[in-house]
Amino acid sequence: MPHLEIRNLTVSYEKNRPTLEQFSLGVEQGELVSLLGPSGCGKTTTLRSVAGFIQPDAGQILINGRDYTQLPPNRRDIGLVFQSYALFPHLTVFNNVAFGLRMRRIPKGEISERVTTALKMVGLEAFANRRPAQLSGGQQQRVALARATVIEPQVLLLDEPLSNLDARLRVDMRQEIRRLQQQLGITTLYVTHDQVEAMSISDRVVVMNQGEIEQIGAPERIFAAPETAFVADFMGFDNRFKAAVVSARTDKLQLHWGGDAIELRWRSRSGSPQPGARAEIFFRADNASLAAGPDALGLAGQVILHTFHGNELRYLVETEVGEFSILQDSAGQRFEPGAAVKVQPQPQKWIAIFEETGQ
Amino acid sequence: MVSRWMYTSLVILYCFLLGPFVIIFMASFGANATMAFPPQGFTLDWFANVFETSQFIDSFWISLQLALLSTIVSLIMGMPVAYALVRFQFTGSGLVETVFSAPILVPGLVIGFAMLNFFVLLGDMQVMTGLFIGHTAILFPYSVRVISASLRNLDPYVEDAAVSLGARRLRGFLLVVLPNMQAGIAAAFVLGFITSFNNVPVSLFLSGPGVTTLPVSMLSYLEYYFDPTIAALSTLLVAFTVVLVQSAERLLGLSQFV
Repeated sequence: MPHLEIRNLTVSYEKNRPTLEQFSLGVEQGELVSLLGPSGCGKTTTLRSVAGFIQPDAGQILINGRDYTQLPPNRRDIGLVFQSYALFPHLTVFNNVAFGLRMRRIPKGEISERVTTALKMVGLEAFANRRPAQLSGGQQQRVALARATVIEPQVLLLDEPLSNLDARLRVDMRQEIRRLQQQLGITTLYVTHDQVEAMSISDRVVVMNQGEIEQIGAPERIFAAPETAFVADFMGFDNRFKAAVVSARTDKLQLHWGGDAIELRWRSRSGSPQPGARAEIFFRADNASLAAGPDALGLAGQVILHTFHGNELRYLVETEVGEFSILQDSAGQRFEPGAAVKVQPQPQKWIAIFEETGQ
Repeated sequence: MVSRWMYTSLVILYCFLLGPFVIIFMASFGANATMAFPPQGFTLDWFANVFETSQFIDSFWISLQLALLSTIVSLIMGMPVAYALVRFQFTGSGLVETVFSAPILVPGLVIGFAMLNFFVLLGDMQVMTGLFIGHTAILFPYSVRVISASLRNLDPYVEDAAVSLGARRLRGFLLVVLPNMQAGIAAAFVLGFITSFNNVPVSLFLSGPGVTTLPVSMLSYLEYYFDPTIAALSTLLVAFTVVLVQSAERLLGLSQFV
C-alpha cells in the first residue's frame, strides 16, 4: 500500500473547466516523486489539495491508509515548503523553526533540542538568532526546509522550492534537499517545471499536462523513452517529423531514411501501428551526425547555419522531411552554410510515437 | 557629482517650503500689535494669550478627541477592508478600491458641503457626532491605503505556512500577519491623526455653535483680529506635529509606507 495515495482527484476552479481530472498517484514510504509540467498543468493544484488548501470536487487523499480528504490543513501533519519560502519576517530563525512545535504544545526543552538538531542538519546552527531578512536566498530556503521537517511530518511537499535561486545555488540545493530527504526517509512530493531538476532529484517523475498524467516512471526511463509527443517535447527531443511506416513488429518498426530503411522503437497508447500509417519520430540534436562526400549514406540535406556552443557546433539542416537541429563536435569536420550533407541517424536512440489524434 | 545648478534649485525649493514658517515663527515673538515682518522687540505675550483664549483651549480639546476617536475607528474599519483587498481577487475589487479612494480625490469642501446637506436631511444630529462621522469618512481611505501597503510587503503565503504548521486560520493571522501589520497600522494612525487634526474644509461645514475644531476657530479668530496670537499658536502646532511625526519615524520607520 502506498504511503501517500491520491485517488481520482478532480478539482475545477471554474465550472466545466477541470484543472485536475481523475488524477491518481501513489507515493511509497520514503519515496521522492516529482510532479513535472508547464504552468497550468495542475501540479500545484495537486500539491495544495494534498496540503488541504484546496477542497477537491471529487476523489480522496489517503496517508497511511487513512482518509485525509475532509481534514483541515492545520491537522494534516504535512510539511510544506513554498516557492517564496514564506518565512515569518518578524521571528528569528529559531522561532521560525520552532513555530510548528509550539503549535503542537511540545515541552520547551524538547523544542529547543529539536530546533537545534534541525538547524544543524541544514548547517544554520550559527544563524539561530538572525531574522529571515538577514539571510541569503539559499539560507532562507534551508530555514524553510528545517521548519517543514522539524515537525516530523507524514509527508513533505515542496512547491518549486528552487525557482527563486540562481543557477549555481540551485544545483547545490538540489543535492541538499535530496540528502536531507533520504536522511529523514520522508515521503516527498516535489513540484517543478524544470525537467533537469526533476530528473536529478526524483525516484520517480510524473509528467503532467492539462490536469492529466502523460507518463510516470523513473527519470532514466522518462528521459530515454517518452511515451507521448508531449513528454518527448518536454524532455528536450529537439527534432520531430512525420514518416510513413514500412513494416511493424511488436516493439520495432521500419521506415525510410534517405535510400535506407531504419528500425526504431515505437510507443503508443492506442493500438499498434500498421504499415502505411504515419508515425511521429523524435530525436535529440546529439543523436544524429552529419557527413559529406559521394559515398556518405543518410538523408540528403543542406546546412542553413551553425552556432558555436563551446565543445559543440549546432547545425540547422534543411531536408525533404523538415529542418533538423544537430549537434556536432566542434573539433571535427566543419560544414559551412550552403554545404550539401547527409544526416546519419542513431536509430536506437530515436523513438516513434503514435497517437490517436492529429495523425 | 552634484552640480551647482542642483544646489541652487534645492535652496530655492527649501526657501519656498520653509520660508513661510520662518516668518510666522519670528512674527510670533514680535512686540507689534499686528503681525509684521521683520518683527520689532521681543515678547512671549502672544503665547500667553493663546493659553488665555478659551476659544482655542476648548477647540483644541475637541480637535484632539475628534482626531483620536475618528482615527481609531477608521483604523478598525480599514483593517479588514485592506486585508480583503490585498488577499482576495474578487469581482469588483478594483471598483471597491476606487470608491474607497474617493474621499482623497474629491475636494474637501465638496465633501463637507455634501455631508452637511446629508446630515440636515437626517434630522437632529449632535454637532460632535456629525464631525466624528465626517472625519472618520475622510480618514478611512488613508487607513485602507497605508495598511494595504504594509500588507503588500508581506508574503501572502505566510498564513498558509502557519496553518500547515498546525495553527488554525485565525491563530495564524494573529501570530504571523498582525505582528507584521503593526508598523503599517502605526503609520496609518499618525497620518490619520494629523489629517483629522489639521482638517479645515470638512470641519468648517460640520462645526456648530460651541463645538468648533482648532483650525476652524483659528480661521474665525483671523476674521476679527490680526495680532500675532495666531502666529504663536501656529508655531505651537508646527512644533506639536513635528514632535509627533519625528517620534513615530524614530520608533517605526513609517516613511516606508506613506
